[in-house]
Amino acid sequence: MTDYVELQVTTNFSFLRGASHPAELVLRAASLGQGAVGVSDRNSLAGIVRAHVAAKEAKVGLVVGARLDLADGLSVLAYPVDRAAYGRLSRLITLGRRRAPKGEYILYRKDVLGHGKGLVFIVLPDDDDDAAAAQTGALCAAFPGFVYLAGYNFCRGDDRRALARRAKLAAHASVPLVALNDVRMHERARRPLLDILTCIREKCTIDNAGLRLDANAERHLKSAADMARLFRGHEAALAHTLEIASRCRFSLDELRYEYPDEVSPDGCPPQRRLAELTWAGAKSRYPGGLSPSVKTQLEHELGLIEELDYAPYFLTVHDLVRFARERDILCQGRGSAANSAVCYCLGITAVDPSRLDLLFERFISAERDEPPDIDIDFEHERREEVIQHIYQKYGRDRAGLTAVVIRYRARSAIRDVGKAMGLSADTVGLLAGQVHGRSGDPVDNAWVREVGIDPDQPRVAMVLAQAQRLTGFPRHLSQHVGGFVITRGRLDELAPIENAAMAGRTVLEWNKDDLDALGILKIDVLALGMLSCIAKGFALLRSHYAKSYDLATIPKEDPAVYDMLCQADSIGVFQVESRAQMAFLPRMKPRNFYDLVIEVAIVRPGPIQGDMVHPYLRRRNGEERVEYPSEALRRVLEKTLGIPLFQEQAMRIAIVGAGFTASQADRLRRAMATFRHAGTIHGFREKMVGGMVARGYNADFAERCFRQIEGFGEYGFPESHAASFALLVYVSAWMKRRYPAAFACALLNSQPMGFYAPAQIVRDARDHGVAVRPPDVNLSNWDCTLELDEAGGGDYALRLGLRQIKGLKRDDADIAAAMRGNGYGDLAAIWRRAGLDGPVLEVLARGDAFGSMGLSRRDGLWAARRFVAAVRNGAAKPLPLFEAAGDDGWGTDAPVALPKMTLGEAVIADYTALRLSLRAHPMALLRRNFAAAVTAGDLKNTAPGARIAVAGLVLARQRPGTAKGVIFATLEDETGTANIIVWPKIFERFRRIVLTARLLKVRGELQREGIVIHLIADHLEDCSGLLATLAARDTGEPANAAAKPPPPARRRHPRDQARALFPSRDFH
Amino acid sequence: MAGAAPLVTTRAAGGRLLVAALDGVAEQAGLALGMTLADARAVAPESCVMPADPTADAALLDRLISWCGRYTPWVAAAGLDGIFLDASGCAHLFGTPASRGEPAMCGDLVRRLKGFGFAASAAMADTPGAAWAMAHYGADNCAIIAPGKTAAALAGLPVAALRLDAATAGTLARVGVARIAQLCAMPRAPLTARFGAGVGRRLDQASGALHEAISPRMPVTPFRAHLAFAEPIALADDIERGLDRLLKDLCRRLDRAGRGARRLALTLYRVDGEIIERQVGAARPARDPAHLARLFAGRLGGFDPGFGVEAMTLAAQGTEMLTPVAGTALIPGDAAPAQFCAEDLAPLIDRLGNRIGFEKLVRLGAHPSHLPERAVRARPALAEAMDFVWPPTPRRPLRLLAPPERIEAIPPGDTGGPPARFRWRRADHRIHTAEGPERIAPEWWLRAGKTRDYWRVEDTQGGCFWIYRHGVAHRDRPSQWYLHGLFG
Repeated sequence: MTDYVELQVTTNFSFLRGASHPAELVLRAASLGQGAVGVSDRNSLAGIVRAHVAAKEAKVGLVVGARLDLADGLSVLAYPVDRAAYGRLSRLITLGRRRAPKGEYILYRKDVLGHGKGLVFIVLPDDDDDAAAAQTGALCAAFPGFVYLAGYNFCRGDDRRALARRAKLAAHASVPLVALNDVRMHERARRPLLDILTCIREKCTIDNAGLRLDANAERHLKSAADMARLFRGHEAALAHTLEIASRCRFSLDELRYEYPDEVSPDGCPPQRRLAELTWAGAKSRYPGGLSPSVKTQLEHELGLIEELDYAPYFLTVHDLVRFARERDILCQGRGSAANSAVCYCLGITAVDPSRLDLLFERFISAERDEPPDIDIDFEHERREEVIQHIYQKYGRDRAGLTAVVIRYRARSAIRDVGKAMGLSADTVGLLAGQVHGRSGDPVDNAWVREVGIDPDQPRVAMVLAQAQRLTGFPRHLSQHVGGFVITRGRLDELAPIENAAMAGRTVLEWNKDDLDALGILKIDVLALGMLSCIAKGFALLRSHYAKSYDLATIPKEDPAVYDMLCQADSIGVFQVESRAQMAFLPRMKPRNFYDLVIEVAIVRPGPIQGDMVHPYLRRRNGEERVEYPSEALRRVLEKTLGIPLFQEQAMRIAIVGAGFTASQADRLRRAMATFRHAGTIHGFREKMVGGMVARGYNADFAERCFRQIEGFGEYGFPESHAASFALLVYVSAWMKRRYPAAFACALLNSQPMGFYAPAQIVRDARDHGVAVRPPDVNLSNWDCTLELDEAGGGDYALRLGLRQIKGLKRDDADIAAAMRGNGYGDLAAIWRRAGLDGPVLEVLARGDAFGSMGLSRRDGLWAARRFVAAVRNGAAKPLPLFEAAGDDGWGTDAPVALPKMTLGEAVIADYTALRLSLRAHPMALLRRNFAAAVTAGDLKNTAPGARIAVAGLVLARQRPGTAKGVIFATLEDETGTANIIVWPKIFERFRRIVLTARLLKVRGELQREGIVIHLIADHLEDCSGLLATLAARDTGEPANAAAKPPPPARRRHPRDQARALFPSRDFH
Repeated sequence: MAGAAPLVTTRAAGGRLLVAALDGVAEQAGLALGMTLADARAVAPESCVMPADPTADAALLDRLISWCGRYTPWVAAAGLDGIFLDASGCAHLFGTPASRGEPAMCGDLVRRLKGFGFAASAAMADTPGAAWAMAHYGADNCAIIAPGKTAAALAGLPVAALRLDAATAGTLARVGVARIAQLCAMPRAPLTARFGAGVGRRLDQASGALHEAISPRMPVTPFRAHLAFAEPIALADDIERGLDRLLKDLCRRLDRAGRGARRLALTLYRVDGEIIERQVGAARPARDPAHLARLFAGRLGGFDPGFGVEAMTLAAQGTEMLTPVAGTALIPGDAAPAQFCAEDLAPLIDRLGNRIGFEKLVRLGAHPSHLPERAVRARPALAEAMDFVWPPTPRRPLRLLAPPERIEAIPPGDTGGPPARFRWRRADHRIHTAEGPERIAPEWWLRAGKTRDYWRVEDTQGGCFWIYRHGVAHRDRPSQWYLHGLFG
């Protein structure tokens, strides 16, 4: 029975207006037996691809359209009849979106008149008055035969009269009436959620929303029979829905992606051009001549590319890389197609594929009908240049960033629903606090009870239930970090483009999955901090050491580099500097490049959840026999000793082991990663585990493989990515090992990035024998620099840059450096020549940057303060006459003797202004209070199992999601760092201390595995109060009584000061 | 306080909630000012949290200032959390004969405040500045600085004790000038060149080199009329006449300012020092002497004039803008019926309210709810004008039956439409025309109810009824029908 098609459907991509997912609506229409359904979101096509995918699966027709609310008072539904009209609709929406700030739109009647050809319009009048008749008439005159008038029956009491009036209006305007139900939800049961969405939108609570809510739940998809009953006497209106659906046959499948022409400007066929570039590149990559195997590989890959017609894509990527290289911007490709011989020869990657033995078919295959995937990482500080290049080269009407759909997470859902349901902010906060992660899993009632809320109390139960339903709803569109779509024709005829929050950025309404579903290519232009650091390091090697390297030419497989990594000496090294990686390095003992590839991929949620890490280590260390579940899987798993570690392997297992087709395996991965709907996962689980068991595999192994795919879905790490990352690991480790000063300098100049703060980077550099010198207005630039270290036998010392000084602006530092000449003799000289005023001088003084003038920090502050007051009093610059006489024109300044700083005070002042101190570690000054504690440096000499105490500043606290409530803390003292493990039971007892202490004393049992040392805490003591006594200390010896500090104000807790001075990185 | 939960108040700052104030238990638990609430909860999940209320804090301080009037009339606020008392010549009035004087007064003050539940710290000194410093930074919570000993007492305190702003105190500490003694020892000229005159002034105020006046708190009532009598009066008539003069005077001033009074306070000063106060309120700002006089009517008696009243004051304590209204010739059915009602009702509300209490007066108003029985709500008569009126459709009966009355549908079967006939109060009604349904779903967030389908029906006799089906129509089961109201 298909005698009705609903044509006014608002999905949840009309944010806070629709209460059902596009797929739910489409499936419901299908189950009602309707042949098609229209989707008309508000001035948006953001949800249309999901509807399209669902409609194809459910085998119902989708009528693609949108609702346009015009600023000059008219609302219409617009349905394009063909591809050209779709392009016009898309442009119309773009027009409205680009005019308005992000998330809004402004369209006028004249826009519709200008772009409306080929669109079927259904007018939604507010009222049945003359104005509505006139508007309808005007539209009808412009597009005769394309205009309809909407009629409703919402069970509001006087519907039949209203419908009769509407029919009269239609007859008067000679426009057919069409029956609609303004659908907001796929079924009646969504009414509570719809009401809540209304409250969120209107910023009111359910109790005072009043008439803003609908009186009933009639705006759901109805059966043809129901509609027929409601529109009795208006049968033509029902028939017109079918008429419109049959007129508007446009399908998203008609969108054909076309590559831009620019890839071969001279008209040379792209494939030939790609081949030329590849062979030319091969010559420079392999100066000694091509080996037969490389030659075969290249020919093979080029053949496959030709077969699939992907040459323009590779050329587009190549163009970006060439641009970056011309501008001296370091970049590297990764992704499924990146680690190919072709990409290596084109300079897109620097990993020689012959070192890796990756099969190209795995990245591009005819079977998996999906475009190749190459992400390019650029230096994070210079990526914007590349983006602007893309806009310049292709124009904003042909290039755009893809969108990211920001969805309700469990926590934000509880927050918004709780607020809408009128719960107090406090209760909402408590409830939201009980939600972990992104899951849509129901909140555990026991948890709720624990914070003193009764989960069975009706309101609370409603909030929890509706919040769970809201989780996963799109909330707004945001821009993808760097996914670009570039087209040959106008991009805005492909999909609407809207403004991003960031000025100068525009975003396509579709996200990565939408584009994938339609086979539209995108290129990811990403930013990577480590590339900035490496680029800066390379520049320093060129300028100071006269060594010229790039990613591909640094010496390979340097044993000293691996020695260093085996010792977990990896602060600052890409990827392997985290605590988990540091703990893993000594066990893994990487000895070659492929070990690094594994290292990068293994310490990740996927392998950890799949419980693959320990078996791999045991096999690697020869504690367990290497065996393979089957001979077929041996080929898949040989490289990783029988343990699946990479995404590709997991997919292969599904294919080889469970009998999936390649596209099924890929759908499985996608199901995990993106369309995370409960239900579909179970189907895959049965299919995979069942399939493997049926083929004679161990059920336990099958289960683990599946769990790992689950983990991969969210944090996928394919081998090809790992290989590109591993190269950066090697390069950064090599630089750290061979040129520690240059590496530390580059690292500091690329901050903020990485896991460690400047204090730890500086400390690590000093531990490696680098002389580090303080920032100074006469010696430092904004960035850190290398200067010749006379004492250090001709090596370079690291001079900290003025950037380390908190509160100093880059412009001020640059001008101070530029106007320096032969140096400044006093503050007045800076004031005169660089024009820096009092507050800036004060900031410099706080950073103790006047040392070269012979001024202590206090002297500098005292001197600078005068300039501050001068500005405040409106004093002009000194007159030239006085200046010549060396007089600042303010009269003489009586000398004042300021008390000298104690070492402790100086350290505090250093931390305050620079976040680090080159003088002493605070713990060195407090050491006498911890005579019994073992220093971090001595831990390696302590017997495992010993009960000892350590004390130190808290550097970081972590509670990894994979560690089931265990807290990891890192303490730092003057000799190094100590790793603390706090089990949940101990944590509950020392909760406050664990969470807030800045200076911690921990007692517990020492555990050691190789060189990995942990202290299992059983007692913790908060010693933060001692930091307040730091000022009085001059050495580690007891402070003398005379220097007793002023009593702190009684209202101030000593921890406040510690918190400001020694912040830790918590729970990132 | 053992076992009590930590108490903190919060203020919003940049989208986060920060701890604005905390009690001793909270401090013991590790909470601190300026922490985010999330952190505080992580540390002490058992905390009792409430939003800070600066207005209430200020009001409380204000009440304390008034209360401090029992020690000296010369009382003033010192910042947001302190009070200055000028105790010159007052101290000897406190304490036992054996220990009269400053320690007794100071101790008494702190003890009483503690009794009220405040953590108080007090100090007495030669200058307000020194007392402030000792109270905030001294070791003792009840310090008495003997005359002439100020400099010695202050020497060891941090410079912040001089009431310097945080930035100045911070900079001084950074250059090593941490304590007041160091500051005193410095040459004044370079100090002033760097920090302006403020530091020196605070230093001199604390030491007494510069006099600092405490301005006592004065009630601010710009609209106030005063009348003093040559001879004390005692007769009610005389007082009423006095009130009339005061009202005329006051209303003239209100008129000039374009304002009207919402609250009036009449104060009668008896010759023996007793004070009698009478207050009235008005529903709308008013400045018509006759109307205001009526509000006082009946409230002037019932007090003892004693030896007579020597002065009267009348103060308008709450005033609002009141623009003059042209002519009052309002015709019923005019374009502004709501205003007409309001104009007309206000004097009635005032008179009733001042007699029986405004809190007992209510009026009915429209309430935005789809459920008919919830679409009306009683509101305080003094509440602002309704901002909500019912939409013109759907049409509803003027009065509803409460509760709706069961009717019997004939025949009982349900086809989805209205019944052909129904029986109500033992009378049969044959339905002639019907319109509907108006489907109203229950307010699901309150309690589970049933959807109702309302029909406006007219019977063959011309009677118009509003009936509804309770629940969804079911082909095999008779529906329950109710009559909810009658039209016309």
